[in-house]
Order: sequence, then C-alpha cells, then structure tokens
Amino acid sequence: MRIHELTKQYDGKTVVDAVSFSIPKGKVISLIGPNGAGKSTVMGMISRLIAHDSGLVEFEGKDIGKWKSKELSKRLAILTQSNNIQMKLTVRELVSFGRFPYSGNRITPEDSAIIDRAIAYMELEAFQDRFIDELSGGQRQRAMIAMVIAQDTEYVLLDEPTNNLDIYHATNMMKIVRRLCDELGKTVILVLHEINYAAFYSDYICAFKNGSVAKFGTVEEVITKENLSDIYQVDFEILNIAGKPLSIYY
Amino acid sequence: MNLTAVRSNRNKLMLLAVLVLLCAAAYLLVEVNLDSPKLFAYAMKIRTPKLIAMLITAFAIGGASLVFQSVINNTIVTPCLLGMNSLYTLIHTAVVFFLGSGSIVATHANLSFAVDVLLMGIAATIIYSWIFQKTNHNVLYVLLVGTVLTSFFGSIQTTLTRVMDPNEYDTLLSTLVASFSNINSEIILLSVVLLGAIVWFLRKDLALLDVLTLGKAQAINLGVDYDRCIRRLLLGVTLCIAVATAMVGPISFLGLIIANLSRQLLKTYRHSQLVLGSALFGMLVLVGGQLIVEHVYTYAVPVSVFITVGGGLYFLYLLLTRKKV
Ligand SMILES: Nc1ncnc2c1ncn2[C@@H]1O[C@H](COP(=O)(O)OP(=O)(O)O)[C@@H](O)[C@H]1O
Ligand SMILES: [Mg+2]
Repeated sequence: MRIHELTKQYDGKTVVDAVSFSIPKGKVISLIGPNGAGKSTVMGMISRLIAHDSGLVEFEGKDIGKWKSKELSKRLAILTQSNNIQMKLTVRELVSFGRFPYSGNRITPEDSAIIDRAIAYMELEAFQDRFIDELSGGQRQRAMIAMVIAQDTEYVLLDEPTNNLDIYHATNMMKIVRRLCDELGKTVILVLHEINYAAFYSDYICAFKNGSVAKFGTVEEVITKENLSDIYQVDFEILNIAGKPLSIYY
Repeated sequence: MNLTAVRSNRNKLMLLAVLVLLCAAAYLLVEVNLDSPKLFAYAMKIRTPKLIAMLITAFAIGGASLVFQSVINNTIVTPCLLGMNSLYTLIHTAVVFFLGSGSIVATHANLSFAVDVLLMGIAATIIYSWIFQKTNHNVLYVLLVGTVLTSFFGSIQTTLTRVMDPNEYDTLLSTLVASFSNINSEIILLSVVLLGAIVWFLRKDLALLDVLTLGKAQAINLGVDYDRCIRRLLLGVTLCIAVATAMVGPISFLGLIIANLSRQLLKTYRHSQLVLGSALFGMLVLVGGQLIVEHVYTYAVPVSVFITVGGGLYFLYLLLTRKKV
C-alpha cells in the first residue's frame, strides 16, 4: 500500500497535509502522535471510510477508489475509534458480521469455525452469548476486534485498539497483533497512544505531528530522545530493555 | 441461544399472524346476516376492500417505519414524524389545485395516485436527503426540522384549499383526505403492484439492513455501498408512506407504535423478522382497532384518534425511558 501526498481539509482547515509513506507488507506499523495530529483521519482515508481531498492511496497497485467496495472488504478490514451500535446483538452475532463480505447473511460451517477461532483469540468464549450493550467498554472493544479478525483480511487497520482495555487485555491485544502478523502473514496498521507498546511490538513506526508525518522508519530510527521530545513537546528518556528502545516521559 | 432465539421469535411471529387472521375473520363476519345470501354478499362487498386496504396500509407503514429507523439509526423517529404524510397530502392538493378538479389527472383515481407518487418520490428524496446531510444525521435536529416541515406542509395545504373555489374544495375533501371511513379502495390493485415492485427492486438493499445498523463505518468496512443503499431505501420508504397516505389518510404514530412493539417483542437485529413483526402488529392494531370502533363505539370515534392518543403516550414513554436519544 502506497500513500502519496494525501491531504484532507475540514472547513478550510488542513488536518492532513500532503502525507506520503509506503506500508511494507507483512509487517506491524504503528501510527503515533499527539491528539488531533490526524492519525484517525489518515486511517479513514486509506480504508475508503473518509474521502480525501487530494493525493492518492494505492492499494495493491490500484487506486483505492477504483476498488469494488465488496472486493476490498475481503482484503482490508478496519476498526474505527468509536463504535456505537444500537441493535440488540450478542457478541457471537457481532463477530459473525465479520463473515458478511464472504457469505452475506448466511453463515456457513467454515464461517462458524473462523468465528470460533476469532472469539478464542480474543478470549471471549465466556461472553459469546451476552448482548453487547450489557458488556463493559473493554469487553465490547474486544468483541469488535474479534469481528475484524473474523473478517480474515490481509490488511488489518485498528484505531486505538487498546483503548478501554486493562493492562492484561491490552498486552494480550498487542501479542495478538504480533501473531496476526507473524503466524498469519497479515499487515497490521494501528494507531497507538502507548509509545512503549508501539516500540515493543511494531516493526515500523509512523509519527504524526500537526497533520504531517514527522518521522517514519523502523522502531530504532523513530524512538529516539530527540524525535519524541520534538513530536510530543515533553522531555523523554530512552531505556534499552530486552533490545527495544522503551521511553519514559516526565 | 442463537438458534433458540430465532425459533422462539418464529413462534412469536406465528402467534401474531394467527391473531391477525382471527381479527380479519372477525372483522368480515361479526354481525353479518349469514341467512340471506344477498345481505351477506353486500356486507362482503363493503368490508373486503376495507380489510384489504388496512392490511396493505399496515404492511406499508410497518415496513417503512422500521426500515427508516434502521437507516437513520434511531428508534424514536418515524417517517410520519418527519412530515412525509403531510408532504403527500400537500402534493395531492397541489396537483388538484393547479390542474383543476375536472382534469383527467384529478378525476381518475389511479392516474392521480400515480402522478402523486411520482412527485412524492422526487420531492421527498430531494428534501430529506438534504435535511439529513445538513443536520449530519443528528436525530434531535432531524426531529426538529421534521416538526417544522409537518406544520409547514400542512399550512401550505390549508392555504391552497382555502383559495380554491368552493366546488373544488368539496371534491377535494372527499378524495383528498382519505380516512378510515373514506378508504380510497380504487387504488388497491395499483398499490399492491407498487409495493410488490418496491420490495423486488430493493431486495438486495433490504438484505443489507442488518449490516447497516452497525453504523456507517462498519457497513462500508464490510463492503456495503453505503450512500447508494441508503438513498434507495429512503426512496422506498417514501413511496410506502405515499401508498399508505393515499389509501387511508395520514395516521401519525402508527409506525412508531408498531415498529417499537416489534423491536420490544423480538429483541433481535434480524430485519427479516423485525419488518414482518412490525407489519403484523400494524395489521393487528388497524383491523382490531377498526373492529372495536365499528362494533363497540359504533363509529363514534375513528380508529385514527385512538392510534394518535395511544401513540402519543407511547412516544412519551419511549422518550422518557430511553437512556440516551
Ligand atoms: N468530521 C470532522 N469534522 C471536522 N473536523 C474534524 C473531523 N474529524 C476530525 N477533525 C479534526 O481533524 C483533526 C485530526 O483529527 P484525528 O484524525 O481524529 O486526530 P487523531 O486521531 O490523531 O487524534 C482534529 O483537529 C479534528 O478536530
Ligand atoms: Mg484518533
């Protein structure tokens, strides 16, 4: 996937300004940066949820706008930041929607197996028959992620998947991201607030500031004292733990 | 749980269908003189079109309201609350006003209906898609604008009838505002054809309703051509409301009652069941209500009054018991 000079304006205000980068296949790429830097907007534009004003998103050699939405939904899945579902829906039924691009409203036995696996991945077996409006925010978030996993696409886009999750489930979430990439060969693009999760579990990091890409590169290239201090405007120290550059800020 | 829920819902729907059949049979047969074939035939001739008109209306309003709620992702708004039936009445009046009550379009019930429906489709699509865009689907704004539009269309319609000459006004009153005591049964056949065509043309979009209720982002993520689908469904809703209003006149709140009863009874996201439930509840309310009105109150109070009063209270109840709008 290649992103070229992508730009978006809201009410005359440029929120994403000529963003260009290429997404290496089969890797975990994290987008980091302060609130309002334009991360979600970029995620929306590269997944066709938000129309871009100018620039190009090229997916597998073809302009994303030229893809059939249905075809795309079998190759790229996205979980947005806020989800508000009004329907009476159980966790299992929600996860089953991930199979919609393949089987429509009819779930085949193969679909059921994939749904089971997605539920097991997110450790939701105990909740699968509960209604989602009766769950905690974190449990609901995990159900949404299970749905995206059930969609079984080469590209998986997650906007702040660790939001609402406690440390156990957040860390588990990151391990799952790693497994999706290492075991299943998927390309995972995520927005993360926790810099250390990004540093520990990603292959590449794309740091945003004010609608532009401040830095894009491997973890070691991006996670440096100077870069982070510049991007977040606070003081950082970098420690090397388990071979990864982890940061503390104060 | 999944399968048992589906099955128990099927039983509930069966029960509803049986109740509707009982009501329909009672409506046809109560206080009919079975001894004299002539009187019997006469009663059937009066009652059958009325019954069919009510069933069609219930289907149109029940289906349209439920689909509309799912499309705009809110369960307290219905097409009637947004003034769709006032718009239809206005269009009908305007056609008679500008072409004259003697014109072929005005005198021919089916032609008049066809012209109205066509205009309604165009006008409503423009007006409502514009509103949804402008208000960004914010339900409170949509409701507010809808209330304003309802009285706006109503006032224009009243003005038109006032400035018409008295002869025209007479013709108008009898054909214009259909009601349960003045059902427009001439258009039954055309209505059935139209509703059938709507369902057939929208069959693929209707199958997407379950996914649409996950919200715009998720629907697009799952490969739905969201804007096109919403546009087509809204057009279908508009036409259904046009059919119902042409047949029995405006009944506010009916859609709200039956769509929500269906949601409360079935507690599911499956629209195949929800729409059916909504239509069956509609039939039950209309036929059962009319049965009571004709035989208990001997026409003293029209059924639409009951529905409006009951529906108004139910609307308040829904508003006040919801956690958030
Ligand atoms: N629909 C919208 N209308 C107007 N402004 C928006 C809209 N969506 C996002 N923005 C603005 O664009 C900027 C970037 O937002 P976003 O991409 O959500 O940032 P991030 O995800 O990095 O926190 C913010 O200033 C936000 O206020
Ligand atoms: Mg964001």
